[in-house]
Amino acid sequence: MLIFDQLKKSDPPLRLLSICVLAGVGILIAGLWYVQIVSYQRYEESLRTQSLRTVRLPGVRGKILDRNGNVLAENRPGYNVNVYLEELRPYFQSEYLEAKKRLKAKTLAERTTAGKVARYTVVSNLVYSVGGVVRVPLTLQDTNFHKHFNERIWLPLPVMQNLAPEQVARFAESAANLPGVDLEVQSVRYYPHKTTAAHILGYLTAYEPSEDEEELRYNYRLPEFQGKVGVEATFDEELRGSPGAKNMLVNNLGYRQSESLIEPAQPGRNIVLTIDLEVQKAAEKALAGAKADAHGAVVVLDVNTGDIIALASAPTFDPNVFVPRITPDEYSKLNDPATKPMFNRASFGVYQPGSIFKIVVGLAALERGTLRPHDKFTSTGYYQLTPRSRPINDTAPAGIYDFERAFYLSSNSYFIEHGLRSGLDSILAMGKRFCLGEKTGIPTRQDLAGYFAEPGTDRKYLGGPWLAGDTANLCIGQGEIMVTPLQMAVMTAAVANGGKVLRPRLVDRLEPADPYSGEAVIRLPPAEVRSELGVSPRNLQIVRDAMLADVEHSDGSGRPAHVDGFRVCGKTGTAENKIGNTLQHKTTWFASYGPYEKPRYAVLVMVERGVSGGKTCAPVAKKIYEALVAMEKRPPGQPILATMQR
Amino acid sequence: MYETDLNPRQSRIDWLMIAGLLGLMVYGLLFIYSAKSVEQTASILQQYRDLNLWQFARWLFGQDYFKQLIWYAGGIGMAVAVCFVDYRILARWSMVGYWATIILLVFVMFFGSTKGWGARRWIDLGFMSVQPSEFAKIAFIVALAHFLSRPNEELRTPKIFWQAIGLIALPFLLILKEPDLGSALMFLPVGLAMMFVGGVPKRYIGMLVGSGAVVAGLLIMDILFSDLLPKPLRIELEPYQKRRLLVYFNRDFAPPNATEAERRRAREEERKYSYNIDQALISVGSGGFTGKGWCQGTQNALGFLPRGVAHNDFIFSVVAEESGFVGSVIVIMLYTVVLFTGIRIASQARDRLGKLMAVGVVALFFSQVFVNIGMNIRIMPVTGVPLPLLSYGGSSVLCSLIAAGIMQNVYVYRKSY
Repeated sequence: MLIFDQLKKSDPPLRLLSICVLAGVGILIAGLWYVQIVSYQRYEESLRTQSLRTVRLPGVRGKILDRNGNVLAENRPGYNVNVYLEELRPYFQSEYLEAKKRLKAKTLAERTTAGKVARYTVVSNLVYSVGGVVRVPLTLQDTNFHKHFNERIWLPLPVMQNLAPEQVARFAESAANLPGVDLEVQSVRYYPHKTTAAHILGYLTAYEPSEDEEELRYNYRLPEFQGKVGVEATFDEELRGSPGAKNMLVNNLGYRQSESLIEPAQPGRNIVLTIDLEVQKAAEKALAGAKADAHGAVVVLDVNTGDIIALASAPTFDPNVFVPRITPDEYSKLNDPATKPMFNRASFGVYQPGSIFKIVVGLAALERGTLRPHDKFTSTGYYQLTPRSRPINDTAPAGIYDFERAFYLSSNSYFIEHGLRSGLDSILAMGKRFCLGEKTGIPTRQDLAGYFAEPGTDRKYLGGPWLAGDTANLCIGQGEIMVTPLQMAVMTAAVANGGKVLRPRLVDRLEPADPYSGEAVIRLPPAEVRSELGVSPRNLQIVRDAMLADVEHSDGSGRPAHVDGFRVCGKTGTAENKIGNTLQHKTTWFASYGPYEKPRYAVLVMVERGVSGGKTCAPVAKKIYEALVAMEKRPPGQPILATMQR
Repeated sequence: MYETDLNPRQSRIDWLMIAGLLGLMVYGLLFIYSAKSVEQTASILQQYRDLNLWQFARWLFGQDYFKQLIWYAGGIGMAVAVCFVDYRILARWSMVGYWATIILLVFVMFFGSTKGWGARRWIDLGFMSVQPSEFAKIAFIVALAHFLSRPNEELRTPKIFWQAIGLIALPFLLILKEPDLGSALMFLPVGLAMMFVGGVPKRYIGMLVGSGAVVAGLLIMDILFSDLLPKPLRIELEPYQKRRLLVYFNRDFAPPNATEAERRRAREEERKYSYNIDQALISVGSGGFTGKGWCQGTQNALGFLPRGVAHNDFIFSVVAEESGFVGSVIVIMLYTVVLFTGIRIASQARDRLGKLMAVGVVALFFSQVFVNIGMNIRIMPVTGVPLPLLSYGGSSVLCSLIAAGIMQNVYVYRKSY
């Protein structure tokens, strides 16, 4: 090259100078190559770390719908007021200059303090003005503000959450001249029917991030909720969808400069339940009206499909109170140990079944052949196991009984006699065929197995030898047995459907949020048959006829459940809860199905501390059957539009 | 009107060097514009539409890239003016120029403006701030060239040697006192190169290099192992200079026996002092091979690269971030063209005076380029040395172009007619 000619010239000092220059240029190029090519990744990484903040965006939570598409859980817009700090920088600056003068700040520390004071003054005045606009006294805690400023300056500062509609209106009207303040819309879970089906739906709590590696890439996650119990919890992943992310570009002081969406959040799937909203409401209303301050449970099953049409537990609660945040007051109310409103009594409460267990005992004795339904049995009005033992009371009067009369009058003496004749193991084996002592598998995270002894057992649940008296007690559904109302509903359904013990279905299908997205609807499989009773149809029919008589016979204990034009079959139960020999209270039951000719529904009612199964529970069942009849008359697939109550 | 005068000489101008200089000036305008574009609220077209002519002119004169353009124009004018007078005639006035700048340097020590930087380096003229140290470099080159262009026998005498050292030492010490270590140090390689090429005997040169090495060694010892050195051998640096060097050597600020609180404070301070260089490195490094594109760099836009230095001392970071390795190498190549055409001019000069003037300018350009770019990639410590023609600043641009004019002058008058 022409310009390097002097390297060859015979002027040694100049040649040395040329070599020095060339060497210097070489060093610079090598250095640049090292920094820009070899170390590129490292510096690019540093650049990202210091100027990018990644924020996790939650997906919109899927809806929960009833079988007809009525909304049980959805999202409503929640309005929050935020302060955008980067827009306040000019105000910080002018306030700082004044604060510096006022505080006579000279040293660096003093000036830093002046800056802190100035920023707090600006934002706190602003918050006060916002309070004036929405007519709620608002104050800004200085520690909170400084913490936010130091740690998350690039995020808007939340000032007020969950504004009421009139506050939103006031804000929109007059906050335009407040600098750096804006409304933010947040999706908030909303249960339009409030307490209805609360135990099925469950509730949400703030999502606590796991410490997964994957989660480390976020600098901040926008508030998200996760299901705690109920369908909200079991299907949390499907409902939650997949999170998105946005990158915020921040400047050297940390203020937000701009933001870009790098991955949009995907909404969660909608969940369609097997519940019928109207029947559910009717069931809850009927249960609540069973007695003053009723505690109890109702289960309505489709006996052929195992679908849960309604499942109620009283007392109940409003899951709306959990979002966005539950107040301590509400929290203590919901955790009252005396009422336990969040406790799902239908699947999580265990009780003694009382006389409704006679369905199992009767079937066992019939199958064993030790009971012939038309044989006469003379009851003395009490049952004495041995001359020396304590007599077991009978609510049925003394007299002559065959199977049907003993069933509808619920004679303890008759069933103890035949239970003992049939033998403990035959009862336990029959109970096992009904899957007693096993969880039903309802997907609400509140599911108990209860207790039912294994055939061949000789020890009691709490220890001690199994005596004949324990067997006698078991024959009338007391003592060594604990069941959930849902288990009893499944039992009743099995009698109704010809012997199939089903796993109850609560969720019918998962639908994509956008029905036109082309994403497939996921249908959950039909109810699993957990067990076949394997009893002879003739014996089953004997029990069914006796259940019909319990409601239709003029003396039947279940007579109050009679519905015109819909033949209900049932069995009442009144379990006595004693401490020592004193009666504490009674758990009252009514297990039923209908119609007799072609059974479609099983309705189980349980009320704690009731008077008797017939008096307390049967009327509840009657109202529910009426609702079921109304449901059948409704044109199919016509959702009753959810009434939006706010 | 000058054309008739200039035409016979036109063929004798070094066009290659001028192409290199123009290339650098184009780069300078583009990236000063980019470095300042964040602070801009409206584009030039928008302003032209919205404002009347007077307002528009006022606005334009407030823009740094436009001011730089004016400095370029002024500098080119001064360079052309320099070419009109034979350098031998210029050299006769060299001592006047030298002493004039010395007086300015003394003046600036007492009445200079600090521009809020803590060092007194500027004379505020209202419409511009003059940095006398820049002009002192030019005056010094001409004066030393004039002083050294004497018979070889005289150059061998110690008296001449020590007088030359004195010529270097006077502005060096005055500028060091401002304090402006970077600018002061520029005198040493320039003086050394000129004495070497001028024919000062090798042993003197060797002595000079040797004593320079000893001073540098003591300086480094002082910084790295301050406790081991006996007191009389210590060199007292300004605290900020010492910290910059500590950052360069990647040393802890805290003394070895510091308490935890002291250590924390020292770390805090260290971060503060290494901040600029760290951010410059991130800018340069994240530019990668092809860069992020003009006006697309984030380091400067987001303020990580401090706004106060992005357009002057650290302009190269902006260039490297936005134009990448390719752009950085193009800038270095443009400087290489200027430097080697300068050396060629030196080799073709008609006398020692011309040769030494060209060598002095080449050495000055090279030192500044090496120190400034080196600082951006951390092979040199941070000093306030501008990048010739690229950094924003009137004094620096004018002096760089005058210096280029001197080289052209030597080229133009390389033969006598």
